[in-house]
Amino acid sequence: MPRRKDINKVLMIGSGPIVIGQACEFDYSGSQACKALREEGYFTILINSNPATIMTDPGMADVTYIEPLTVEMVTKVIAKERPDAILPTLGGQTGLNLAFFLMKQGVLKKYGVESIGASISAISCAEDRDLFKKAMQEIGVNTPKSGIATSLDAGMKIGLSIGFPLILRPAYTLGGSGGSIAYNREELEKFLTKGLETSPVHQVLVEQSVLGWKEIEFEVMRDCCDNVIMVTSMENVDPMGVHTGDSIVVAPAQTLTAQEYNNFVNLSKRIIRRIGITGGGANIQFGQNPHNGDIVIIEVNPRLSRSSALASKATGFPIARVATKLAVGYTLPEVMNQITGKTTSFFEPTVDYCVFKICRFTFEKFPHAQRVLNTSMKAVGEVMSIGRNFKEAFQKGIRSMEISRFGFGCDGKDRLSDEELKRADKELLQLIRDKIRIPNDERIFYIRYALKAGISLDEICSLSNIDRWFIDNMRELVEIEEEVIKYRNNKIDEEIKIPLELLKVAKLNGFSDSQLAFILNSKEAKVRDARKRQNVKAVYKLVDTCAGEVAAKQPYYYSTYETVDESRQSKKKKVVILGGGPNRIGQGIEFDYCCCHAAYALKEEGVDSIMVNCNPETVSTDYDTSDRLYFEPLTFEDIMNIIELEKPMGVIVQFGGQTPLNLAVLLRKAGVNILGTSAESIDIAEDRKRFKHMLHKLGLLQPENGTAFNFDEAKDVAKKIGYPVLVRPSYVLGGRAMEIAYDDEALEKFIKEAAEVSGEHPVLIDKFLEDAIEVDVDLIGDGQTFVIGGILEHIEYAGVHSGDAAMSLPTYTLSQGILQKIRQATYEMAKELSLVGLMNIQYAVKDDKVYILEVNPRASRTVPFVSKVIGVPLAELATKVLLGGKLKDLGFIKEIIPEYVAIKESVFPFNRFPGVDVILGPEMKSTGEVMGIDKDFGRAYIKSQLAAGQKLPRKGNVFVSVRDRDKRQVIFIAKKLADLGFNIYASTGTADVLDKSGIKVKVLPKIAEGRPNILDLMKDGKIQLVMNTPSGRIPRQDEVKIRSHVILYNIPYTTSISAAQATVNGIEALLKKDLGVKSLQSYHKRRKR
Amino acid sequence: MKAVLMLEDGKSFIGESETLQKERVGEVIMNTAVVGYQEMITDPANIDKILILTYPLIGNYGCAAKFNESDTVWPAGLVIKESSRIFSNWQAKESLGAFAKRNGLFFMHSVDTRTLAVHLRQKGSMLGVISTESFDRKELLSKIAAFGKEQSLSSIERVSTQKVVHSGRSTGKKVAILDLGVTRSIVCQMESLGCALKLLPYGTSGDEILRFKATGLILSSGPEDIPGLEKVAGNIKPLIGKLPILGIASGNLALAMALGVKINKLKIGHRGVNYPIQSPSSFKGEITTQNHAYVLDHDSLLKVKGLKISSYNLNDRTVEGIESKTLKIIGVQYMPVSLGYNESNGAFIQFMKMLGRS
Repeated sequence: MPRRKDINKVLMIGSGPIVIGQACEFDYSGSQACKALREEGYFTILINSNPATIMTDPGMADVTYIEPLTVEMVTKVIAKERPDAILPTLGGQTGLNLAFFLMKQGVLKKYGVESIGASISAISCAEDRDLFKKAMQEIGVNTPKSGIATSLDAGMKIGLSIGFPLILRPAYTLGGSGGSIAYNREELEKFLTKGLETSPVHQVLVEQSVLGWKEIEFEVMRDCCDNVIMVTSMENVDPMGVHTGDSIVVAPAQTLTAQEYNNFVNLSKRIIRRIGITGGGANIQFGQNPHNGDIVIIEVNPRLSRSSALASKATGFPIARVATKLAVGYTLPEVMNQITGKTTSFFEPTVDYCVFKICRFTFEKFPHAQRVLNTSMKAVGEVMSIGRNFKEAFQKGIRSMEISRFGFGCDGKDRLSDEELKRADKELLQLIRDKIRIPNDERIFYIRYALKAGISLDEICSLSNIDRWFIDNMRELVEIEEEVIKYRNNKIDEEIKIPLELLKVAKLNGFSDSQLAFILNSKEAKVRDARKRQNVKAVYKLVDTCAGEVAAKQPYYYSTYETVDESRQSKKKKVVILGGGPNRIGQGIEFDYCCCHAAYALKEEGVDSIMVNCNPETVSTDYDTSDRLYFEPLTFEDIMNIIELEKPMGVIVQFGGQTPLNLAVLLRKAGVNILGTSAESIDIAEDRKRFKHMLHKLGLLQPENGTAFNFDEAKDVAKKIGYPVLVRPSYVLGGRAMEIAYDDEALEKFIKEAAEVSGEHPVLIDKFLEDAIEVDVDLIGDGQTFVIGGILEHIEYAGVHSGDAAMSLPTYTLSQGILQKIRQATYEMAKELSLVGLMNIQYAVKDDKVYILEVNPRASRTVPFVSKVIGVPLAELATKVLLGGKLKDLGFIKEIIPEYVAIKESVFPFNRFPGVDVILGPEMKSTGEVMGIDKDFGRAYIKSQLAAGQKLPRKGNVFVSVRDRDKRQVIFIAKKLADLGFNIYASTGTADVLDKSGIKVKVLPKIAEGRPNILDLMKDGKIQLVMNTPSGRIPRQDEVKIRSHVILYNIPYTTSISAAQATVNGIEALLKKDLGVKSLQSYHKRRKR
Repeated sequence: MKAVLMLEDGKSFIGESETLQKERVGEVIMNTAVVGYQEMITDPANIDKILILTYPLIGNYGCAAKFNESDTVWPAGLVIKESSRIFSNWQAKESLGAFAKRNGLFFMHSVDTRTLAVHLRQKGSMLGVISTESFDRKELLSKIAAFGKEQSLSSIERVSTQKVVHSGRSTGKKVAILDLGVTRSIVCQMESLGCALKLLPYGTSGDEILRFKATGLILSSGPEDIPGLEKVAGNIKPLIGKLPILGIASGNLALAMALGVKINKLKIGHRGVNYPIQSPSSFKGEITTQNHAYVLDHDSLLKVKGLKISSYNLNDRTVEGIESKTLKIIGVQYMPVSLGYNESNGAFIQFMKMLGRS
């Protein structure tokens, strides 16, 4: 049926900031949807608070609102734009929930907005546990035995009648947050209480545990004429009990019989029909008893999901695009399959390869968190790999993760050596067994240790409940390794002796050159040479949706070691863009944004873009972002294989974050042309000595500093420059193991940690500039002309990682004199380094002096934010500059200082790691960012807080407790709050100060000393805002408790005095006049006028 | 041991095999389904074929008698990429390797099936030989050239039942199935619809069929043995209009020939589980399992009075289904496979409706 003509304007809701459970897969699906809608001529309105997304680029939708994703703000957008329809299925759980609440509050009805893609009744049926269970019973689909609890008592009753273990799932939460497993009465009570609080509708599903069952997923699509297709099946290698977002997943399912498969298909069809999706897709999760085939349904997501992004990338089928077309009335047979260019979307993709997904965790950032996996998702990113068999995909997947592993062990990074494993004692064997029994992020490596230590396949299967097929594949890898070891060199410089046939077997099964070098006691380069000499080369095969049955028009590629290369190179000029790999804390969507823009710019310049990346969540790995996409790990070996094949004119390493930059030296040594700022300049920026020399030459300041390999050396440095000092390892990302030491004792502890991370490089020690204001500058240069993109002032004082700090563009407290100094220093350094492309400089301002902290000769995290604010696509310009373009010709020659204010605020995953303290420091902890934009600082700041999920109050009670240093400043803040009508509660010390200043304040006892204390008040919902600054290096127990309760009860909080000031500023602005909404396009228009 | 697959056009592929067979010649076909290897190799329709599976990981869930589509394996060979060392499924009784060996199947693995599939796509289906004995190009090509000349029995003769077999409920609707290579799936679906079934040898004449007093007749799927099917067409021609007939896959070819419809061969057959069909009169379609190289000729079909096209293949617009109320026939070129446990395909349900009307 043709597209619907009764709707003209469509509102799309994005998914907001990147958080655990909701990452850039929704930028991928949202961007595809925007494109699909505009292709059909619909007027598209977009709201999303995340500026680092492609979807919020001004060209993607007709009107773009970067505003907080709250019912209130979306209502304002609806009132202003009057859309005919809302498409809520592409913005993750956030989008879906918003649509649901808009319906509940009558907003959709009031403005006559229809929910397309999934009707409100379909959303309710899938999301409301009770309705869902009934619906499944109706169509004969089993659900695990369960009951819905809306109170603790009811929940206890249900739980005890079903029997332990039990799974508790709060309703309407994303990524299973608040979900848990209870093994006894005590745990049931504890987790029920927590779950009821987590669920926005106070509903918890108490459910029979199907722990250890197979977890099977199907991606299903249905159109308005009841045509249904399965895009793919997926099998979780980690069985039920580990959140599917944390699980290792393969596609297609590997251990289902044809009959079982058909049965799942049949059930999936019944389910999508019963839920009532009439123009969209759903992800359906099943549990299957591996011993008798019993099937239960776990859940249905009536929307695009993380799994559907993976399914899209795994098969080549663009689910988001097709779902959007179906939402506006098309049927599957009417939507073309753009990969084949011949067939339609009404077919089921079939593959002739194995797809593997594995997750990236960041437990190292939260050392106090338990390193176990359960039903609450903890992964911050994921990678996908493709191979002709499971083993190849598995090993490629591991090396794609960038956890400095090069495959399934035997890469020199194993915790346990072969010798240790051979003579493993009882204790070690027990440790290995425990690590296999209790799911954790290192489980696969312990399976390898178990295989090596002689633990049987059967035992590993029964410990882990992982299907024996997967374990046997891993065993086969260990066997190949043991075969290769026989040809080990005595001396590292000897020639490689491995027989050709065995070399082929190893490569066919995914062994990297690096692993082979380690096993053979040789060097990676030698293995590579030997391999090439014997013509054992990677060939590229196609992701074509059809297993080769049809000649594909727009396929993408993966490497394997087969006989024939199917890649098609063009004769055009081409440039390789290296992507950023998996999302992690410190490197996320911002860099993917830049890579995509590089591809767009290359297209405009008529140069073929070749993207290399392995992150299935991203826009950069979409089939139509670049001219050719290689779905490959970002390691030297894998990249060189592509470069040798494609022979590009150059490679862009500036945009993918630290991953490609780290490879730059190796690639350059291999003769690859790196586009942009010269190798020499990059070296000056990165080499401490040369950098110091340059600053000296330019007469610029740097905090006093030194380096050390051990504590004694460090003590000397500290003595010379004076405490406090900032300690950090060399060459790390996101401030890993960075700490501020105030005395020798702390220094000793931190040096030890930093030295571990730093490896053979020295630990860096800088004078820490207390209470300094930090400033980030992004700029672009073409070698002659240099233009500042933006000067961003941090709201928190120095000491908070720049990735975690809130920032304001333009600056809001710096004097013209200081700004002048910053500009001058910026341009002088750019000129000195002959900057070509993008660069980021971090400054600290203290006592009217400007210190240079860091210079990064690459695109920074803030490039998308700055681009959105000033309305100039910096990454795109930079790409053109890399190709030899001049800023003069490109029309960007002058810094733009906006007349409005934009605040970038960070979003943290503390709710995923119970008990972890929420204070910020030099180690980055945030997963994502939001932007608040308005005409003044206060309003922009409050929008940024709302967008980050802080529901700042207009009235009520504020708890204030600050360290001594902040006590003078807090007086003004508290006074202001009291004037605005808030009641002030404070801890003893803070109350003293406030009382003396004549502020009415209620004193609360220390937690151990009396009740009701602050925790009681928080629990009872009597505190609307908490302002707490940490007392020192070792926080007091009370503080930690208060801060962890803030997370538990989702109470807005600030942990620095500057943020508290900004917050009060914001509340004041909010009380003066209600917040309004304004599109990015109209901000930019005003500027252009 | 080392094995070779040599195609008619001289292109060869090396692999491994543990087979006891020395050499087999046959038409090389490829199937894109991910699961269902046991069903495919026990489907009589695949007799004498050298079957290539494009999915690279085969044998993962093992084999069990309950998944057989017939009592034995039929293809001349099975060629795959990676054969699973172990099998893992609660229903499995033995590995695919053991199953193949026990049933005398030439099972070849470690072949670059992707390259092979792309080659077949470009060149069209052709004959091939698999061997563990000879690797000599000339010798192998001469074996392909000689193929088909010494065959005495037609394919249909070899797969069809020798005598009448009863199954299903004794009280149900009586339905005769002309066994042109029937699969267990067809029989089971009709049984679960409550029918009393009589399985008839392929050569049963029209008069004999009528003597069984069945309410309906099914022409089963089976090998696309055109001369054999022509004979069948001649036998059933007098029955058209006298009782409802359901033609399935090759059975549909026979039905069409009986109606005077021409048939054409595709460059490369439809073989897989993901083929979309759509009715010409609505937006509604279906994803079907297909295993055929021949299709009904569109134009000659339109000349038959009362005959309608009920479904097209959406990709190449070939005819996948026909029906006629006046002639009381339903024909499907695709395989009407069971939807799930004990559930029947729409084609059978539609046929039951037709039986109810007559």
